[in-house]
Amino acid sequence: MRMTAWVGALPRDARDTLFLLGVIGIVLLPQVPELPWWCILLTTIVLVWRGTLAVQSKPLPSRWWLVALLAVALAATFATYRTVLGREAGVTLVVVLLALKTLELRARRDAFVIFFLGFFAMLTNFFSSQSLLTAVAMLVALLGLLTALVNAHMPVGRPPLAQAARTAGWMALLGAPIMLALFMLFPRMAPLWGTPNDEMTGRSGLSNTMRVGSIASLALDDGIAARVKFDGGVAPPQRQLYFRGPVLSDFDGREWTAPPPWERGFLSADLRVQGEPVGYEVTLEPSNRPWLLALDAPVKPPQIPGLRVMATPDLQWVANRAIGDLLRYRAESYPQFQSGPLRRTGALQRYVALPPGSNPRTVAMAAQMKADPALADAATPAYVQAALDRLRTGGYSYTLEPGLYGNETADEFWFERKAGFCEHIASAFVVLMRALDIPARIVTGYQGGELNGVDGYWVLRQADAHAWAEVWEAGKGWTRVDPTASVSPGRIGAFQRLAAPPGLFAGAIGTMSPTLAQNLRAAWEAVNNGWNQWVLNYTQSRQLDLLKNIGFEAPSLQDLATVLLWVLIAASLAGAGWTLWERSRHDPWLRLLGRARHRLEKAGLSLPEAAPPRQIATQAMAHFGAAGQPVHDWLLRLEAQRYAKTPEAGLPALRAEFRKMAWPR
Amino acid sequence: MNPLAATRRRIDGWFLSRRPPSDTLALTQRNVYIVPTPAGWMLAATLLVLLVASINYQLNLGYLLTFMLAGCVAVGMHVSHATLRGLSMHLMPPEPQYAGSAAVFRVVLHNARRSARYGIGLAVRGSGHWAWCDVPAQGSETVEIAFQPARRGLHAVPPLTAETRFPLGAFRVWTVWRPASSLLVYPAPEPHPPALPAGEPLAGDASASVARAASAGEYDGVRAYRRGDPLKLVVWKKAARAQAAGSDELFSRDTQQAQRQQLWLDAQTAGLPDLEARISRLCAWVLMADRLGVDYGLRVAGQQVPPAQGEAHRRRCLEVLATCA
Repeated sequence: MRMTAWVGALPRDARDTLFLLGVIGIVLLPQVPELPWWCILLTTIVLVWRGTLAVQSKPLPSRWWLVALLAVALAATFATYRTVLGREAGVTLVVVLLALKTLELRARRDAFVIFFLGFFAMLTNFFSSQSLLTAVAMLVALLGLLTALVNAHMPVGRPPLAQAARTAGWMALLGAPIMLALFMLFPRMAPLWGTPNDEMTGRSGLSNTMRVGSIASLALDDGIAARVKFDGGVAPPQRQLYFRGPVLSDFDGREWTAPPPWERGFLSADLRVQGEPVGYEVTLEPSNRPWLLALDAPVKPPQIPGLRVMATPDLQWVANRAIGDLLRYRAESYPQFQSGPLRRTGALQRYVALPPGSNPRTVAMAAQMKADPALADAATPAYVQAALDRLRTGGYSYTLEPGLYGNETADEFWFERKAGFCEHIASAFVVLMRALDIPARIVTGYQGGELNGVDGYWVLRQADAHAWAEVWEAGKGWTRVDPTASVSPGRIGAFQRLAAPPGLFAGAIGTMSPTLAQNLRAAWEAVNNGWNQWVLNYTQSRQLDLLKNIGFEAPSLQDLATVLLWVLIAASLAGAGWTLWERSRHDPWLRLLGRARHRLEKAGLSLPEAAPPRQIATQAMAHFGAAGQPVHDWLLRLEAQRYAKTPEAGLPALRAEFRKMAWPR
Repeated sequence: MNPLAATRRRIDGWFLSRRPPSDTLALTQRNVYIVPTPAGWMLAATLLVLLVASINYQLNLGYLLTFMLAGCVAVGMHVSHATLRGLSMHLMPPEPQYAGSAAVFRVVLHNARRSARYGIGLAVRGSGHWAWCDVPAQGSETVEIAFQPARRGLHAVPPLTAETRFPLGAFRVWTVWRPASSLLVYPAPEPHPPALPAGEPLAGDASASVARAASAGEYDGVRAYRRGDPLKLVVWKKAARAQAAGSDELFSRDTQQAQRQQLWLDAQTAGLPDLEARISRLCAWVLMADRLGVDYGLRVAGQQVPPAQGEAHRRRCLEVLATCA
């Protein structure tokens, strides 16, 4: 209450400035995590400084201050990004400029510059996040900026801000249909020119390399990697849900890497499938990597407008550019499949290569197994089974905190620590297989996922990231082996995931009711997914689907533009019609009087403007004599209709008389 | 004058001549105009930049923002136009003014609709002195438009203009109004005029003019009643007023003086070469004489107003001064 009283006592200028500063704060707040520290500091100081000046009604600083601060900001931007042109540098500069411009709020033009910079700063928020929360925050900010703009155009007195806010709200509400029409029908096109391919920072995910231990952080990351909706809502068993990502086949003793595309050769994957395919739709969160996730294993690449998707020989699906934004595609996969050559070829040599001298004890163990009479001359499956048996029975355990490994990771896993998570296990397993001269490789991706009961989408989190192995077998090709399942059967296909330590709030809810927390999360994610599906992923294909639904046979972008044009024309006509209608809403009594007057004027009577009926009647009598009598009487009745306590004739009757009357000529 | 400006003025003249003069103007679709302001063009440029950024970075939320803003601007355009459309303006009959002095027109704005209209500015067209007002819902508001009449005479009221930029400032909505009333502009009174001229003797009485010359300006014309004054010389009005105040004094016209002297304010005696300067001085004299409450007559440019006094007489004199050639 005291706060409102204080604001109420401020002069109008100070109040308006404080309001604008507050709105700028809302615009800038969501991007604070993306900005360098000096930018946050400078912006805060400038905004607070400006607010103080406004409250104390002191003069603004001289222009030299601005020039100096701008120079400092430019220098700091250059020092931070080594350029002032890139996207992040640009965003930083926009933020600083917006703050500095408030110190130069003198003329009306300055205010406009602030508004327009503000609109642009709102857009820059979307570079880092397009979530529902950001959208809500920016809606508030937009309404705030519009309110300030409307308020700036109410020059009289000290209008309450609520009045301006009401006007702004109405405009937004009435503008919403226009927004919807434009959003749905404005043709989505490819970028007009190449944008600087900024590395998207802070987005974790799978990577092209696997330094043993790097997935540990992923296992704790609850972020969503993708959402999957199976056709008909029928998913394969959870334990069969392996979403394939990068395939790592080169090992330097410490780190697994995927070979560059030109080294993988151009042979087809030689995929052999059995059984019925599973159809599904994937909504992939931006990863800034070129690969697409697909359930093992699709035969045809997903069709995505604007992207060329190819399968690599190791069955990975790669697009021709990085996925920088939310992407949706359909795919069909065959859960039962084999791939690769049936006979051992020279190309398979890559998959048995080990750096010389690495993991000597594992190599020695392989030699021992080969010498084992029980396994003598056995085929590949027997060796795989032996290794898996060892994992199951040798006292190996699954843990998310295996500690730091040395250089010989396989040796350490097999003989010393005997604990690790999927990548340690998969890596040690593949090294052993290769030491046994069995071609083997590591496949990374996501396993399992969680069904959101609210909207029926399967959610793949970064925590579902997984690494498994593929082993080549003569006569069968590459087959999947998941050694982690032997160590920790619960890790694969389990409902109980290894959860991240909850935050304070989630923790409190969790202790009260674990299911409540889960339900809340499911509901929230369903809302978020709806947002993703309907807003963020409203793409060209959806637009064309829309046209198909309203009856276009083979819609194109041109049709889209045509439909948009027609909608706009229809809207304009509707607006014009409304104006006409509004005009006809003038007082019917006045209109009737106006018609009578017009008629008399045409007959040669000159009347003063705004003459009342009685005066017209008198003048008509004087001018036309007896011929004016009917008009005279009619006019008096018209007057009575309006002003008498109990009018004898209604307007329709008067109108009928008007038509039948003998008008003087 | 360069040909462009000349063409412009001709177009302007044609534009003005199309509107019939009237003291009441109802604003409709036909006489309310709208154009984008420079700020509006800036806003359009901002929208374009937002759109290009949304396309290039494939930001669907960016599209939403851009289109939301575009929708608001489109609605704002209608709101802006509707702020003037449907308003009716009525010019109060203008009072006569002195040339060169600050003066006002009073205009009553009437709003019949059920919501208020904000930020309406009125001005004499081309003057740049805006008077801003809000018109309440189903109510009226009186606005005083400042102007400075330049020349004396009977002029048509200059074209007025009403404008609004509410709500976003992206559009300028305006109308031009040619009122039918005319405006009488009195000459500007000379700031420091000399004393009033001497009264003129009535025909055939030359000596008195010399005697009165020293005390020019003190024309009492009334003196206390003296025994023997004829009744027709008694100023009954003044007597009545005095009796009402509780005294029984009587006043007589100073017949001697009134018969001998008459104050004529004459352009010939104003003593300035320039006609306008003379008229200006006469104007100052008229006001001075009126203040002193003496009878005075006016002779200027072949017109003559016989001596008298009072409000109507003053107006009459000023009118003659305003319109004489």
